[in-house]
Amino acid sequence: MLDAIRSKVDRGERLSPEDGIALFQHPDVVAVGQLANQVRERLHGDRTYFNRNMRLEVTNVCVASCLFCSFAKLEEGSPGAHTMRAEDAWAELEARMDDPPSEIHIVNGLHPGLPFSYYEELLSGFKRIKPDVHMKCFTAVEIHFFSKLYGMSYREVLERLRRAGLDSLPGGGAEIFHPEVRTRISHDKATADEYLEVHRVAHGLGIRTNATMLYGHIETFEHRVDHLMRLRALQDETRGLQAFIPLAFHPDGNGMRNLPAPTAVDALRTVAVSRLLLDNVPHIKAYWVSMTPEVAQIALRFGADDLDGTIVHETIYRAAGSRSPGALSVEQLVRLVQEAGRMPVERDTLYNVVREHPRASLPEAALRVRERKASKHLEVLS
Amino acid sequence: MSDARLRVAAVGYLNARPLYEGLDREPASARMRLDCAAPSEVARRIAEDEADIALMPVAAAATIGDLRIVRGCAIGTRGAVRSVVIVAERPVEELEEIAVDLSSRTSVVLARLLLRARLGGREPKLFGASPRDALARIGGPRGALIIGDPALEVEGRFPHVLDLGLAWREWTGLPFVFAAWCGRPGVLTAEDERLLERAKIDGLARRHAIAAEHAARTGLPEASLRAYLDEALRYDLGDDERRGLERFYDEAARAGLLPPARVRFYDEDRRSAAPVPSLDGLLARAAEGERLSASEGERLGAGASLFDLGLAADAVRRRKHPEQVVTYIVDRNINYTNVCTTSCRFCAFYRPLGHAEAYVLSREQLAKKLQEVVDAGGVQILLQGGLHPELRIEWYEDLLRWMKSEFRLGLHALSPEEILHIARLEHLSVQRVLERLRAAGLDSVPGGGAEILVDRVRRTIAKAKCTSDEWLGVMRVAHHMGLRSSATMMYGTVDTPRDRINHLVKIRELQDETGGFTAFFCWDFQHERGTRIEPGENGTVLYLRQQALARILLDNVDHVGASWVTQGPEVGQVALRFGADDFGSVMFEENVVSSAGTTFCMNADAMETRIRAAGFKATRRNVLYEWLTPPA
Repeated sequence: MLDAIRSKVDRGERLSPEDGIALFQHPDVVAVGQLANQVRERLHGDRTYFNRNMRLEVTNVCVASCLFCSFAKLEEGSPGAHTMRAEDAWAELEARMDDPPSEIHIVNGLHPGLPFSYYEELLSGFKRIKPDVHMKCFTAVEIHFFSKLYGMSYREVLERLRRAGLDSLPGGGAEIFHPEVRTRISHDKATADEYLEVHRVAHGLGIRTNATMLYGHIETFEHRVDHLMRLRALQDETRGLQAFIPLAFHPDGNGMRNLPAPTAVDALRTVAVSRLLLDNVPHIKAYWVSMTPEVAQIALRFGADDLDGTIVHETIYRAAGSRSPGALSVEQLVRLVQEAGRMPVERDTLYNVVREHPRASLPEAALRVRERKASKHLEVLS
Repeated sequence: MSDARLRVAAVGYLNARPLYEGLDREPASARMRLDCAAPSEVARRIAEDEADIALMPVAAAATIGDLRIVRGCAIGTRGAVRSVVIVAERPVEELEEIAVDLSSRTSVVLARLLLRARLGGREPKLFGASPRDALARIGGPRGALIIGDPALEVEGRFPHVLDLGLAWREWTGLPFVFAAWCGRPGVLTAEDERLLERAKIDGLARRHAIAAEHAARTGLPEASLRAYLDEALRYDLGDDERRGLERFYDEAARAGLLPPARVRFYDEDRRSAAPVPSLDGLLARAAEGERLSASEGERLGAGASLFDLGLAADAVRRRKHPEQVVTYIVDRNINYTNVCTTSCRFCAFYRPLGHAEAYVLSREQLAKKLQEVVDAGGVQILLQGGLHPELRIEWYEDLLRWMKSEFRLGLHALSPEEILHIARLEHLSVQRVLERLRAAGLDSVPGGGAEILVDRVRRTIAKAKCTSDEWLGVMRVAHHMGLRSSATMMYGTVDTPRDRINHLVKIRELQDETGGFTAFFCWDFQHERGTRIEPGENGTVLYLRQQALARILLDNVDHVGASWVTQGPEVGQVALRFGADDFGSVMFEENVVSSAGTTFCMNADAMETRIRAAGFKATRRNVLYEWLTPPA
């Protein structure tokens, strides 16, 4: 069974949804990973990307009631709810100007009471502090929410935000597209079609985006494959997606706390199948906040070619019980990549190379073997 | 100024003297520095790169693998060798047990091949014994394999003698080669080989003087020794001997006693590059469960992809455990004291005696912990501690007796380092210490403290700790007494890939001898506050590779465990697909690794969930890896 898929992969042929199901069901996750690694190395060799970024969640007030969320507090004034003043958000960047991030990644709750100008000022304020900082802000779900709340089309929302400083959209809010799941876990926010339409419009405006999938809760493998297929179809149309990021469901403190968290084997399998099915998306991210840095390292050999970035300040997964550290330094990221036998490449948000780091030094014997076998074997490491 | 001469090691036995004696004199001495040692030590020096060239037993050369041999010089025989014999009161066909001197692996492998050939596949039970013990235990259906001077001493004393040189000749029609000059590729020039050849010519010319000296020292008859050196032994290594050696390697590999080995001379490398076996071939052999040499292990470690290693290790695991079950144990790691005198640089746990944070657990503290284990359905205690300079053996005996009688838990207690510490403190033998502890309730010995079983590494990271041979020696004694143990490896400090392979091969060799290891666990050095050494090669991917390599190389160890305590539950789960069939233990507490900053917790439910999500059935086990529940 895997042989048929392997020969398709060897020939560079597109895999079918049935292939995707079969890959999710295949008992040997290592064999699936090997296939994904083959594709990953065909696309990127050993190169493994990361950036210097900073995460901010300026408000956790949210009108949506997603079952999987441990972060959002429904109403302003309820315990733990907070909304940052723009000045305080800017101060986070000012405090880091000795070693500044190249990207600010902002994701928020759906706050019903803020004026649109709040977001515009937020963006332009960051640009005042650091004009070349890349603002990767607001998921498609937020853009959809803005459109409804402020009575603008997606296009108007995006254009106004872009004028204020928006550079690209993060991929959050995709969850699981299929209505059987989406209506149960996040019924009161953007639908799958709305999410995809926001991305379509953004791509049409030349705004690049990422996409995600929240897996490991009530969805089936069929739902996962359906999700990936919808993204693949969008990408065929627009070519605007940069990276796909599978996000593991974390159960602490949310409406699905009785479910077990997906395990590392599922995380690796999902990365691998994503790499294999999303043949038109350039990058697959091993988001270390979601999978832990250790499993992310392994994922770099199961199809992923990107570790996201230094993050600093992540609070959404922390609220759901993730025990990953809150931030990693560039040195730590470089070492993680090197330990996985890969070549660390610092990038900007649009995947322009900032700096290529050396691979880990290999023992002489390994180098010799490496040279000899490089042509034949998929990958060789220290 | 450092000595730039070739480091030459040779087995310091009478039969080797004609080959090496001349090396102490000009012109060879200007180029070579000779050092004699026991056979296993000579092999170790080549394996660990402490010697460049060695006159070493051919079995050890196969185990290291990819060595080159000097053409023309060897210790061999074309018929009766006299010094490698099975002696008994009955014909060999009627023997049920044979005591063997396990220090001579080549002779033991030869004996096993010949016995199998003669007895139609049946093999008497072999057990290790010193030459003196072996001789003392001969009687009825029990014989002994006697090697070297003791064999010459007992000539004519037993009614039934199987001379292994003669038996080999009768079986194969070929000469037998016991030892030859071996080294890694490229270390010898043609001129070096001529020096060895010339030393041999000089040595053979002195044979009678050597015999006379040896006779004077040992009391053996000079005429007999002369005949031994003149007639029984042959010092050539030509085409016939090569065929004999190749046949031996083939037979031993087919019987699974040695990794497959080729005979390759230094001079052949000078004429043409040696053929390199393909990685794919090695991986296929690994997946088939074949024994790999140390150098083949290194090739895989350096060249094979993570997936190649993982799939091969998984294939080995499946072959050994086709039922697709992963076990775990409900036990508790109790560190009875943190007082320790060894000051290992990788350890953040120990405190000196008298330190404000130094402790020895009281009975009350222990009782509470033990009761929790009983209440949780636990089956054993893993009891380890520092080397406390003031606790006497009676304290340990009382402790074990009390634990056993009050709580009826299995006692997997006291690693080799602690056993040695007690033996030194009490001026008792290791065997006596183990006997007393077993009488007090000890059930099995944990394999901690092995770190890397290469002394160069141990001297750097754990100077005050026992040597590799001492660690292995305690395990040998324990296994011979019927105590089972686990084996471990902590890598990622100053160790090289070769050191890690050598570690595995040492465990494999002892396991060949005793069969006493139940399982193998490895983990990388946990660098944190309190440790005083920089991390070397480590990381999650290396862990998976290392565990997979261990599964591939340790063909004679039943179980390999995933160290989730050090790698985290997530990586531990992934490791189950890289050759592990055990998930270690439910964690109540663990102090040593956690004082270095690694703190993970997992209960039985979480372990079983992860085992199942990795595609296996889960079951609880005891220390012998027996299933305690039906796998589900």
